[in-house]
Amino acid sequence: MRIALAGNPNSGKTTLFNALTGSIEHVGNWPGVTVARKEGFVKKQLSIHQNIRIVDLPGTYSMSPFTNEERITKDYVQQEHPDVIINIIDASNLSRSLFFTTQLLSLGVPVVIALNKWDLVTKKAINIDMTHLSKDLGCPIVEVSALRQDGLKKLLETCVDRKGSTQEPAFIGHTDATLNKEAWLEEEKERSVFVSNLVKHVEKRSIDSHKLNQHDAIDRIVAHPYFGIPIFIVILYGVFSISQATLGPFLADYLVGWIDLFYAFVANLMGTQVSPFLQALVLDGVIGGVGAIVGFLPLIMVLFFMLALLEDSGYMARVALIMDPYLKKVGLSGRSIIPMVISTGCAIPGIMSTRTIRDDRQRKTTAMLTSFMPCGAKLPVIALFAGVFFQDAAWVGTLMYFMGILIIFFGAIVIRKINGDTSKASYFIMELPEYRFPSFKRAFIAMISQGKQFVIKAVTIILLSNILVQIMQTFSWNLQLVEEGAEATSILASIATPLAFILVPLGFGLWQLAAAAITGFIAKENVVGTLAVVFGITNFIDLEALEVVAGTTEISSIMGITTVAALAYLVFNLFTPPCFAAIGAMNAELESKKWLYGAIGFQLGMGYTLAYFIYQIGTLITTGQFGSGLILGFLIVLVYIGSIVYLIKRNDQSRMTLQGA
Amino acid sequence: MVLSKAKKHVTYTIQDIETSDEAMKDFLFSLGCHAGQAITIISNFGSNMVVNINDARYSIDLELAKAIIV
Repeated sequence: MRIALAGNPNSGKTTLFNALTGSIEHVGNWPGVTVARKEGFVKKQLSIHQNIRIVDLPGTYSMSPFTNEERITKDYVQQEHPDVIINIIDASNLSRSLFFTTQLLSLGVPVVIALNKWDLVTKKAINIDMTHLSKDLGCPIVEVSALRQDGLKKLLETCVDRKGSTQEPAFIGHTDATLNKEAWLEEEKERSVFVSNLVKHVEKRSIDSHKLNQHDAIDRIVAHPYFGIPIFIVILYGVFSISQATLGPFLADYLVGWIDLFYAFVANLMGTQVSPFLQALVLDGVIGGVGAIVGFLPLIMVLFFMLALLEDSGYMARVALIMDPYLKKVGLSGRSIIPMVISTGCAIPGIMSTRTIRDDRQRKTTAMLTSFMPCGAKLPVIALFAGVFFQDAAWVGTLMYFMGILIIFFGAIVIRKINGDTSKASYFIMELPEYRFPSFKRAFIAMISQGKQFVIKAVTIILLSNILVQIMQTFSWNLQLVEEGAEATSILASIATPLAFILVPLGFGLWQLAAAAITGFIAKENVVGTLAVVFGITNFIDLEALEVVAGTTEISSIMGITTVAALAYLVFNLFTPPCFAAIGAMNAELESKKWLYGAIGFQLGMGYTLAYFIYQIGTLITTGQFGSGLILGFLIVLVYIGSIVYLIKRNDQSRMTLQGA
Repeated sequence: MVLSKAKKHVTYTIQDIETSDEAMKDFLFSLGCHAGQAITIISNFGSNMVVNINDARYSIDLELAKAIIV
């Protein structure tokens, strides 16, 4: 049996989907989080009937046959023939929800209404005559709380009962809406009158929604044009200081201690019987490399816990609001904030979520730039450099996020200049969900889910990369073991050295660092893993223990780079193209090779240019003279800036747009 | 008058949506933002405002506020 979940954005569909199936799909207290449809089976403890399949459809306010995104629901129902549709309704917003409900009811598939957010109804002193409503709509209504998982069994039972029954439409218009758009609009007007009359009969509100409430009072402060952004900065800084500078490292110390014990245990176990190569492979390649990354797990989990709390509270929709005027100046809109926030977890769903942006150029620009936001995989890299070179300073992480935002602004200006200003007057409208006290349970679930993905990645793709790196640095091209002191003859060194040459102007022209940057394209965590392997460092967190391994607590001296060069290296790794998987997602969303190559070129140049200026100017300030490779780097940066200027000029002359090309 | 010139905390009735962007007009319709519906400005931040339409709060920008005739 198959059940489709349909409803307005932010009505709680994904929360209900998770509650029914036991999945842990991403939920946000703001509209537009689900873009693709998701499927899952109902948990066994909820229904005695086996094999109930649930499909979570993207949220929509209406089913217009004339727009693409709104057609998804209708197309799905017509092509896949679900047995029952669960229409999830925000009980505190009946009038808007029922508009979509009456459209669903005319599809001919039995509908069961799940009346969600029932607790809000009581709080807002709304009275709904359920018997009357159910009779007028001609379908059963079940009160549920997706959050508290109440009423789910009854909901499923009702669905099973309705399977195979027929559904009469509650509202039939007087025109043939399939005829043309005018006829359809006429029908929608009648529908709207029908719905408002229905709501008048069944709903009694003691508090007028047009009156101000506490939520509005909070909005007046956090969405204020002057206070809004400083408040956002303070909140982000707080999140980073807790996750990266205080609680996170405190927990990480324990974890790293256990990893070190494990390392010593395995080293002891192997004794002297095992060949040095195998010993190095298992200890440095596997345990050291993976351990170096897993050591950052607490930092990441604390961060995601806090971001989940923030998202659950309803604050993120306000961030979109305060950023909108600024984004508009560069040709984007507050809509671009959703992909940017999702990208702080992972750029792939972030890039996919750009589909909710209506304007084509805005959508492509956002898909191209959103991966500049530091994602979860980049966090260990940030944490490593912040910890080693900047004493765990929380400003490093905060700065990297704001740098990401600034680059997105800058990139958007460049793209608009290259393509010309092609978008029509763009309007911004976004529902502001009510604030709520964030649920620790949901934040915990989000944290566990992120942590799990992180560990899975660490023991699969990153483990494999580390083994490869270990083998490549142990052997030379004629498959001889590399002698101590002749590390530069290894396969890894010979591949990475040519690249290291062009990295000299950035302050890190070492083959080890170049190799780490390359493996970073497979997965950004690899930067940390590879550094651990090539420098033989097992943990980057507990610096006192490091002395035992490397003979010094100064990782900076092990790596042989200055603090300025370290910052340049961090920036280079964060703002060059993301991992291959994210580039693949970009390819799918941009649907144009020209845009894709443009995006990759832009990102490569951006990472290089930023790192160049940070290193050269930083070195000038700290030592009084420029760093090495000043001229070479300048030429490369010149080529990058030159090509951007050329593309802009070309557009100025021909006024031809690349849009849709 | 256009909504951007309207007073705060006063409930108006929408007269018309003036835009050439048909898709936006349809979208607003599905939210319940169309002629005959009530609208109230809750907060006005200059470049953005928070409005109440059909029992829900929305943030809209100045351009959209200029397209809504009350």
